[in-house]
Amino acid sequence: MNNIDIEKIISRVHSLPGELVPFREMLLANVVMISEIPAPTFGEQERISFLEQRFNEYGLMNCCTDEVGNAQAILPGTDNLQAILLTAHADTPFPASENHTCTVDVKKIYCPGVADNSLGLALLATLPTILEGLGIRLQSKLLLLGTSRSLDQGNQCGIRFFLTNSRYPVKSAIVVEGIPLGRLHYRSMASFGGMISCNIDRKVNHKSAIEILNQIIYQLGRLTLPVESHTDLVLGAVSGGASYKIPARHAQLKFQLRSDDDQVVIDVTGQINSMLEEMGKEQGVSLHLEDIARTQAGGLDSSHPIVAKTRQVMTALGIQPQKSIYSPIITSYVEHEIPAIGLGLTYGDNIHYGDEYIEIDPIITGIAQLIGALMAIDGACHD
Amino acid sequence: MININEWLQSNTFHHEQFSDLPQLIKAKEKQGLKISLCIPTLNEEKTIGKEVVLFKSELQDRYPLLDEIAVIDSGSTDRTLEIAASFGADVYKSAEILPVMGFKRGKGENLWKAIYQLQGDIIVYVDADIKNIHPRFVYGIVAPLIYQSEIKYVKAFYDRPLALSQGIRPTGGGRVTEILVRPLFSLFFPELTAIIQPLSGEYAVRREVLERIPFPIGYGVETSHLIDVYYEYGLEAFAQTDLDKRVHRHQETRDLGKMSFGILRTFCKRLKDRGIVANLPELTANLRQFQALDNSYEQVIHEIYEEERPPMLKIVAYREKIGIDR
Repeated sequence: MNNIDIEKIISRVHSLPGELVPFREMLLANVVMISEIPAPTFGEQERISFLEQRFNEYGLMNCCTDEVGNAQAILPGTDNLQAILLTAHADTPFPASENHTCTVDVKKIYCPGVADNSLGLALLATLPTILEGLGIRLQSKLLLLGTSRSLDQGNQCGIRFFLTNSRYPVKSAIVVEGIPLGRLHYRSMASFGGMISCNIDRKVNHKSAIEILNQIIYQLGRLTLPVESHTDLVLGAVSGGASYKIPARHAQLKFQLRSDDDQVVIDVTGQINSMLEEMGKEQGVSLHLEDIARTQAGGLDSSHPIVAKTRQVMTALGIQPQKSIYSPIITSYVEHEIPAIGLGLTYGDNIHYGDEYIEIDPIITGIAQLIGALMAIDGACHD
Repeated sequence: MININEWLQSNTFHHEQFSDLPQLIKAKEKQGLKISLCIPTLNEEKTIGKEVVLFKSELQDRYPLLDEIAVIDSGSTDRTLEIAASFGADVYKSAEILPVMGFKRGKGENLWKAIYQLQGDIIVYVDADIKNIHPRFVYGIVAPLIYQSEIKYVKAFYDRPLALSQGIRPTGGGRVTEILVRPLFSLFFPELTAIIQPLSGEYAVRREVLERIPFPIGYGVETSHLIDVYYEYGLEAFAQTDLDKRVHRHQETRDLGKMSFGILRTFCKRLKDRGIVANLPELTANLRQFQALDNSYEQVIHEIYEEERPPMLKIVAYREKIGIDR
């Protein structure tokens, strides 16, 4: 893409926020309807059906739900020589029993999962109408994909399945998340998400599993992590025991190890395995390390045209790109060597809590940014 | 008396029968109908934004079923009006509509003034406190009026009357319906017992009907509508639509007591006016409830008047507005 093309795009991007105002209610209505459909990981079918219904109503091509539960559709381009993938994950960390009632205020929408990622999915449902209304037609075909089984033990199963099996070679991808506006992710860290389970055989050992787990946590804290590779060990969740008065028979620890070097993750995971093997020699103590999720390090350089042009679009809209460039949402694309970026649409807070919310006003800027990035990527695809 | 089971078969619908909105709009446009949505409010800031956003987007912008969306307010002290207006609803203060008739506080007052203020040949009333609001709450009750000209008044209900494989199960109105209204209907207007949820706040009505019936301004408005329309047009003029689940505020038993009192007064007035029960004494407006404080008990008296607005056709300003007296 030459400079004249990007200048044209930037010029158009400046006028987009004003042009997008008439579409605000349509997007918000989709946010509300999607948010109120519970979608725990592995239980996204109803939400995915809603998205597919929206794709069908618009008359998109090849609307369907694949065998792992992704909703997909194609918005044709003018030449269809390339395909750009636009995805948002459909699942949330909230169980179906959670109260999913939305509250719409003048400035905010409150609902569990609204930021992560009902807004992103609503954007997918609304974008074809918006692009048509704005008279914007890409050269490339746009693959719209609401993905299933993304979070936690879903381990990005939906997007991985699509990228492995899709009939359409994807030239580039944008991953849409509800928040925060200013997110520009284009690299993935290597990571290992694991769950350590400790079980005590009561016949030969009277210790509490929590006591053993405590020793494990102490040992994990003593691991030497290489500083130069930005390596972190995050202790995410613990559970165990049945009552305050009985020594726990079972206890679990979920953690994530992440680094920008694949080999470091492999090495440290090996150290953890050795440590557990040693501690598991105690009579009646059984320790097991289970894989929850793994990601691979990689992604785009900051000078890659997609990154550079998107940054220009964001700057033109007054959006300050965040410093963090790493996100696990990029990892599936790294595995398939597809250039991809992750963008956010608005501001919000209390993510993964019952009072999760998004701000309404910045959404217009967020959509303008996304459309600008799509136009820039479309141009870059045809260079 | 018509066969209630036959009426249930022919005039009871499910919202899914009407989910083809392009077809519905085609039928509406063919008849040149205008449809207005009225949402009566009093301090509904928690739910009004969502209702307006959904109805405007889905039933105006995406599928042009509604010609206007109006919020008519009884004097909210919270941000109900600000929120509704910010998402594109037409917002009216009940006191400022038809000022020559003065202002009375009550939901029925808002519904009555909507007839004057709004343009539609059909007016759809939807309560503002519905937590699981969805476009079906409107198209489900409007569609029978669009498709069947003999139907004049469509009520919503929220439960299935028949189970598919486990035989018949009793179907539910709320507590006031089952304890008060259905027993009264059984005694005096048996055909009206076929209306599964007579007190539901969601109904769509042709203007030609609305402008001919009086409006109690308080709790009795839904009950009086059913009786008055039934007397004028018979059960054949009614239909009802299953809208599945409705989630709304839970009301305390004491508040239901006040509601029942208002309904009972309205009901008795109709029994008297229509000569069904002779020699009813003058009815008090005082509802007496009791409350305990430690070991002492005290009486609480609530004054509940069920004033009524006359049929809108009797209002000169309305007749002038629609051109009858020209």
